[in-house]
Amino acid sequence: MEDIRQEIDQDRRAFIRKVLGGTIAGSLLLVIPMPASAVLRVAEQIPGMQEETEVFTKKRFVFVVDITACIGCGSCCVADKAEYNVPDGNYRTWVERYIIDDHDDVYVDSPNGGLDGYIQPREGLPHPTRDTFFVPKLCNMCEKPSCTQVCPVGATYKTGDGFVLVDKTRCVGCSYCVQACPYSVRFINPETRTAEKCTWCYHRVRKGYLPACVSVCPTQARKFGDLNDTNSEVWKILHEPHVVSVLKPDMGNQPALHYVGLRREVV
Amino acid sequence: MHKESRSRYNAHLIKLIIALVVVGVGGYFAKQALSPDTMGQYGHYRGADIEDQKNIALKLGTNDSCFQCHQPIRTIHKDGVHKTVSCEVCHGSYGNHIGDNDEKIGTLPVKRGDEISQLCLRCHNKVIQARPREFIKMVGYPEHLEQMQVNPTHNCSQCHMVHDPLLWIRQAREMMRMPEGA
Amino acid sequence: MSVGVHHAEGVVSLANYVFPNDVHIHWSLMIVLYPYITGIVAGAFIVSSLYHVFGIRDLKPISRYSLIFALAFLCCATWPLLLHLGHPERAFSMFLTPNPTSAMAGFGYIYTAYLILLVHEILFIYRPTMVALWQQSKGIMRGIYAFLSFFNNNLSRESLELDHKIINFLAGIGIPMACVLHGYVGFIFGGIKANPLWATPLMPVIFLLSACVSGIAGIIFSYMLIKKFSGGTIDVACIRTSLKFLWGFFILDFVFEMLEVFTHYYMSTHHWHVLENLLWGPLYTTYWTLQVKVFSVIPFILLGILCLVKLKDRIILFFAPIVSLMILAQVLLMRWNVVIGGQLMSNSTRGQVFFTPEWAGREGIIAAIIVMTAPLVILFILSRIFPLWIHEEQPQET
Repeated sequence: MEDIRQEIDQDRRAFIRKVLGGTIAGSLLLVIPMPASAVLRVAEQIPGMQEETEVFTKKRFVFVVDITACIGCGSCCVADKAEYNVPDGNYRTWVERYIIDDHDDVYVDSPNGGLDGYIQPREGLPHPTRDTFFVPKLCNMCEKPSCTQVCPVGATYKTGDGFVLVDKTRCVGCSYCVQACPYSVRFINPETRTAEKCTWCYHRVRKGYLPACVSVCPTQARKFGDLNDTNSEVWKILHEPHVVSVLKPDMGNQPALHYVGLRREVV
Repeated sequence: MHKESRSRYNAHLIKLIIALVVVGVGGYFAKQALSPDTMGQYGHYRGADIEDQKNIALKLGTNDSCFQCHQPIRTIHKDGVHKTVSCEVCHGSYGNHIGDNDEKIGTLPVKRGDEISQLCLRCHNKVIQARPREFIKMVGYPEHLEQMQVNPTHNCSQCHMVHDPLLWIRQAREMMRMPEGA
Repeated sequence: MSVGVHHAEGVVSLANYVFPNDVHIHWSLMIVLYPYITGIVAGAFIVSSLYHVFGIRDLKPISRYSLIFALAFLCCATWPLLLHLGHPERAFSMFLTPNPTSAMAGFGYIYTAYLILLVHEILFIYRPTMVALWQQSKGIMRGIYAFLSFFNNNLSRESLELDHKIINFLAGIGIPMACVLHGYVGFIFGGIKANPLWATPLMPVIFLLSACVSGIAGIIFSYMLIKKFSGGTIDVACIRTSLKFLWGFFILDFVFEMLEVFTHYYMSTHHWHVLENLLWGPLYTTYWTLQVKVFSVIPFILLGILCLVKLKDRIILFFAPIVSLMILAQVLLMRWNVVIGGQLMSNSTRGQVFFTPEWAGREGIIAAIIVMTAPLVILFILSRIFPLWIHEEQPQET
C-alpha cells in the first residue's frame, strides 16, 4: 500500500517538475540568480555561516569524537571517500577497532581503514576480551601543527580560523609533512603527487554544511561545532564534566580534535 | 715572470664582486617577480588558496538535499529509527546524481536482495562486540530468522522497510491489534 | 616499493598494528643518498681545510684533490632530491618562498651558498695554475682557462698575496659552513618530534661526525684508486695522517652513535619500547649485524692497529683502502638505518613494516647507482680541467 502511494506521489511530482521546469521556472532562472548547486538551497547545518563573509570566520571550530557512541559502521569513511575521491590505500579518516583482553594486551586493527565496515570479529586472540570499542581518526587540526612548521615552501598552512589546509598548486611533494605529523593523517596522493589530508571539509563548512563524516554519522559519534557559541553541543561537552581528552598530548600539538571517553590505550 | 700582465693585481676580485652583486640583485628581483601574488597576504602561504578551497564543489549533500525531490521517502525516513542514517552512504553521493544546473546526471544504483542484508549487517551484526548496545540494535544472523520463525532465505528487507525498519512491524501489530513488544 | 606489514608468528603479528597511512615508505633510497652525498662533500672539504687552515702539512698532496672531489659530489647533491620530489618542477619554490620555520627550506640557500664558496675557493687556489694553463693552451680550452682565471693573468706577488688572503678567508668560513650544511641535514631528521628514532639533539652531531668520516674515507679510497690506475706514487705519509684523522673522527662518530641508543635504552621512556621493537625487529640485520658489528667494530679495531702499531708501508697501503671502503659502507648503512629505519615504525607505536627497495623507478636501485656514479664521472671531467695533483703542474712557480 505504501509502495503504491509512493509510486503515485513520484509520478505526480515528476509531472509538476516537468511542467514547471519548462515554463515558469525556466523564465525565472534568467532573472533570479540561483546558487551554483541545488545542494545549496538546503538549509545550512551550521548556524550563522551565511553571515561569515570575511576571509576567516569568527568561529572557533572544534571536532569532538564520542568513542562511547561509535558503532564502527564506517559510514564516515564511505562518505569521506565519496566526497574526496581518495585513492585506494590512503585514508583521510579511518576507524580503528580496539580489543583489550583480560591480560591487558591490546589488539588494534583497521581493515581497509574501516571503509568496508567491520564484518568479521577478530579471530585467534588468545584470551577473552575485557573491553572493545571503535576509535575514529581524522586530522587533529592542531593549534601548533607540526606539518605547517616543516613545509619548506608554505604549501600547507593554518588559516586564521584554525583549519590546516594544503595548497595543492604549490605542494612540491617532499613528504616532510607526512613525516612530521604525529597522527599519520597525511599521505601523498599518488595521482596528484601532492600531500593530502582531512580538512574537516573546509569547503562544506564555509558553505554552512557539516563535514561529510559528521553529516552521515548515524549515532552522532562525530560532532562538529563552534566553541564561541555557548549553546553549541561541543561547548557543552568541553565545558561540562565529561571524560574528554586529546590524542598524544605529550606531543604539544594541542589538537582541536577532542575525544569523549578516550581510553588510555588509544594512541 | 708574469710582469707582462696588463691587468691590475686585484682585477679578478673586482670582477668577481661585481658578478656576485649582479647575480644577487637579479636573484632578489626574480624572487619578487616569481613569487605568487597573494603569498604572505595572511601568513606564509598563497592567500588566494583560501578562496580556492572555499569554492571546491560539494560531492555529498545532506539528507535534506535528497528529500528536495524524494518527498515520499522523507515522510517515511524522518520519523523512523533510521532517521539519522545518511541516504548517501547506502545510495551513493548526491554529486553523482544531480549536476551543477540541478539536472539529473546519473542514476544511483539501487541495492537489491542480498546486498541489502549485507548493508544491514554492516551495522547490526551481533558478532562485532565493540558496538555500544545503547546506540544500536544488534542482531544475530541468521539466528534472528530462526527466532522469528521466518524462511531462512529471507532478506532483511522482506520484513523490514529499510528506510524505517519498524514501519511494517508497527503496521502489522496494529492490524493484528497486538500490544507493543509482543 | 614493496612494503609488507610485519607478520611474525603468533600473538606478535596479532598485536602488530600500523596506521593505515603508515604502510607507505615515502622517503626511500634517494633520501638515503642525499645525506650520504652531502656528508661526503662536507667531509672532503674538511680534509682540505686540515691542510689549508690547520696546517697539517702531510695532507698537502690531497688538499687540492679533496676540493675537486667535494665539488664533484656537491654537483650531484640535489639529484636525489629532485628524483624524490613529487613535483620537481616546483622545486624552485624553495628559493622563492622558503618557509622560515622549515628545516628543509634552508637547503636551497645553504646549498647554493656553499656551492658558491667551494667554487671560489677552488678558483682562487687554482688561479696560478689556471693562468699558466691559459697561456699554454689553445682553442676552447684557452677560453675556459681564461674564464676560470677571471681573465686576469696578473700573478705578481701583490696579487698572489691577495689571493692567499681570500683563500684563508674562504676556508675559514668554509669550515663552519660545511658543518652547517651537514649538521643541518641531521637537523632535518632530528627536528621531527613525531619520530622517536630521529628526534634527538644528537642527530646533527652524529650526521656531522659521520660526514667527516665518510669524506675522509672517500678521499683515501679514491686517491689510492686513482693513483693505482694512473700509475702515480702514493704518498704514504699522507695516507698515515689521513688514517689518523679517520680514526679520530670515527671514534667520536661511533661513540656518539652508540651513546644515542644507550641513552634511549637507559632512559627507557615510552619511546624505547618502540625503538626496541624496531632495532630488534625489521632493522636488526642492517643495524646490529651490518652497521654495528661488521662495518663499525672491525674498521674500528683495524684503524686502531693501523694508527698505533708501527707497521710497514706495504701493510698500510694494503689495509687503508679496505678500511676506507668499510667506513664508506658503514656511513651508507647508517643513513639507511636512520632514514628508512625511522619510517619502519608506525606512529601507532604498535607496529612495524618491512621495506625492500625496488629496482626500477625514479627512486629505485638503478637510479641510485646512477646518482652515485655521476659524481665520479663529473670528477673525471673536472680532472681534465683542474690538475688534481700538485706535481702535475709543471709551470708551478719556480
